Amino acid sequence: MKLNRSIFWIFPLLLLALPLVLNQYLQYVVNLILVYILVGVGFNIVVGNLGQLAFSNVAFFGIGAYASGMLSYHLGWPWWITVIPAGLFGALAGCAASIPALRGVRLFYLAIMTLAFGELMRWAYIRVPGTGGSMGLAVPEPVGFSFGDFSWAMTTEYDKFYVFLFIVVVVVIAASRLLESRFGRAFLAIKNDEQAAAAMGIPTGKYFLLAFALSGFIVGIGGAMYAALGLHLSPEDFDLIQVILHFAIIMVGGIGSLIGSILGSTLIVAVPEMIRHFEWLVGSEEWIFGVSIIAVILFLPRGLSSLLAKFHPIFKDRYYRN
Amino acid sequence: MIEYIQSTLSTWPHLLPMLPQLIVSGIAIGMLYALIALSMTILYRATTVVNFGHGDLVMLGAYALFILLPMVTFNVALESSALHTLTSFVPPYLIALLLALAVLFAIGYILHRVFIWPILKGPHLSLALMAIAIGYALRGVIRKEYGKEILQMPRPFEDQAYEIFNFSNMGTYMTLDEITFCGVVIVMLIVSYIVFSKTRFGQIVQAMFQTQRGSSLVGINVMYYNNLIWGVGCSLGALGGVMLGLTLVLDPDVGVWTLLRGFAAMTLGGFGSLYGAVIGGLIIGILEKVLGVFISTALVEITCYLVIILVLLIRPKGLFGQHATLKI
Repeated sequence: MKLNRSIFWIFPLLLLALPLVLNQYLQYVVNLILVYILVGVGFNIVVGNLGQLAFSNVAFFGIGAYASGMLSYHLGWPWWITVIPAGLFGALAGCAASIPALRGVRLFYLAIMTLAFGELMRWAYIRVPGTGGSMGLAVPEPVGFSFGDFSWAMTTEYDKFYVFLFIVVVVVIAASRLLESRFGRAFLAIKNDEQAAAAMGIPTGKYFLLAFALSGFIVGIGGAMYAALGLHLSPEDFDLIQVILHFAIIMVGGIGSLIGSILGSTLIVAVPEMIRHFEWLVGSEEWIFGVSIIAVILFLPRGLSSLLAKFHPIFKDRYYRN
Repeated sequence: MIEYIQSTLSTWPHLLPMLPQLIVSGIAIGMLYALIALSMTILYRATTVVNFGHGDLVMLGAYALFILLPMVTFNVALESSALHTLTSFVPPYLIALLLALAVLFAIGYILHRVFIWPILKGPHLSLALMAIAIGYALRGVIRKEYGKEILQMPRPFEDQAYEIFNFSNMGTYMTLDEITFCGVVIVMLIVSYIVFSKTRFGQIVQAMFQTQRGSSLVGINVMYYNNLIWGVGCSLGALGGVMLGLTLVLDPDVGVWTLLRGFAAMTLGGFGSLYGAVIGGLIIGILEKVLGVFISTALVEITCYLVIILVLLIRPKGLFGQHATLKI
C-alpha cells in the first residue's frame, strides 16, 4: 500500500487525546517519555548519524537541566523563557565536547574523553557555587506561559504534557528535515568513511561542530524539560546510569533513526515502571536492564526500527526529501 | 582571584616537608591504578577491545574473595577434607585468593566467548555498549545479593605503619598494605613483560594484536587465545579488586570510579604500553595527592578527568603509546 509520510501526523493528533484517559501518574510517565525522546533524537545525531562514539550526552542533559533550574531559581525567570537558553548552554557544551573530535581524537579515545567530560560536569554541579551542591537544586514551579501580568503555571502533569508535546513535535520535525537535507547526507558520509568524505570536499570539521552543537541544543532542551518535570535536580541524576539509559534508548530503538528514538524511549521508560509493580522483582531492575541490553545487542543489533522497516518501507529513514 | 593564588602560594613553604609522604602515598595508591590499567592494557593489547565494563569486573573480584573466603574456611574446619591438609602449607586466605582469581578467569573466558566474540565484526559502538551492559548487569546482581549493608573486606594480615625515612623531622610512613601492593604490582609488571615478550604465548598474542586476520591465516586459533587473554585480564583485574577492597571499600558502585582511573593511567602512559600503564598510574596517584594538598582538596576527584582531557588534547599518544589520532 502506497502511503505518504504525512500520515505520521496522526500520532501527535492521537496523543492530544491522552490526558482524557490517563491518570496523573501515567501522565507523568508519558511526560518522561517525551523528555527522553528529545534525549534520544539529540544523541542519535552524534552517535547514529555522525557515527562517533561520544558519550557526552549526559553532560549536555545535565547542563541544560541545571541551566534552566539555575536561571529560574536565581534570576526568577519563568520556565518557558529558560528553555532556549538551556538549549544554548547545551550547544555551548556541545562545541566544547567537539574540540577533541576536531583535533582528531576518534573511537574509544573520544569515548573515554567524553566520559571524563561528563564526570567533570558532575563534579561541577557539586562544586560550582549556586548549584545547590550535593543536596541538589530545587527548581521553582515551572511557568508555561506569561504575558505581562497574566501567567499560566504548569502545575498538573496534563499542562506539562501539552507544552512538552508541542516542543517535542517541533524538534522532531526540525530534526527530520535536517536529516533529510544535505546536512544529514554529509553526516552519513562522514560516518561511513571520514577520509573519503573529506576527499570529496565535505568540510568535516564544520559538520562535526554542527552535529555536536545541535545534539547539545536538543538534549539541553530535553534537560530543561526534565527540570520542569522533576522539580528537583541532584548531581546523582546525571551519572553513568544515565549514560547507560541513553545508550539503551538508541540501541533498542535503532542507531541513527528518528523513529528509533521514539520507540526506544517509550520502551526504556515504560518497561522499568511496569516492572516496579511486580513485588518479587524489586531490586532486580538493574540486572534485568543490563541483560535486556545484552540481548538486544546480540540479537537485534539494528534495533526495533529495523524490524519496523522490514514490515513496511515507510518506516525507513530517508536522507532525501520528496 | 589574585589573592586566592597568593594565599595558596604562601602556604607552600609550610607544606613542603609533607612532600615525601605525599609522594610515597601517591605511589601507593598509584600502584592500585597501575594494576587496573595493567589489566586493561593486557586486554587491549591482545584483542584491541577496550573493556568499558572492566571496573565492574574489578569490583566482582573483590566480592568473589569476600564470598569464597567463608567457604574455604568452612571446608578447612572440616577435619577430614583435603583442604585441611593443604592449609598446613598454605594459609586459607591465599587459597581463597587463588580461587577468586580462577573464578574471574572463568568468567572472563565465558564473557568473551559468549558476548564479545559474536559481535566483534560489528560497529565499535556495539562492543563498547556490550561491555558496559555486562558490567551493569554484574553490578545489579551483586547489589541484589550483597548490596544491602556495608560489608567489611577480610584482611590477610593486620595493617602496620613503618617509617621509611625522616625528612626535616617529619617521618615518612608506609603501611604494610602499601608495601605489599607495590611488591605485587612490580612482580605483575615483570611477569607480564616476560610473558608478552619472551614466551611463545606472548608472541602469539602480539601477532593477534597486529593483525587478527593474518594470524588466523597462519593457523593461530584467534578465538581461543582471545578467550584466554580475557580470562587473564579479568583475573588480574580481580587482583586489583582485592587490593581496592582492602584499601578503600567493598561497594558495588566502585566500577565507574575504577574504570576512569584506569583509563586515565592508560591514556597518560599510552594505550597498549605495559610500562606506560604502570608509570601512568604512579604519576596520577602522586599528582592526586600533591595537587590535593598543595592546591585544593576539591581537585582530588577530578585529577584523572583533567589528565584524560589534557593528555588527549595535547599529546594523544601519551608517554609511550602509538598513534592515536586521525589526521585529515
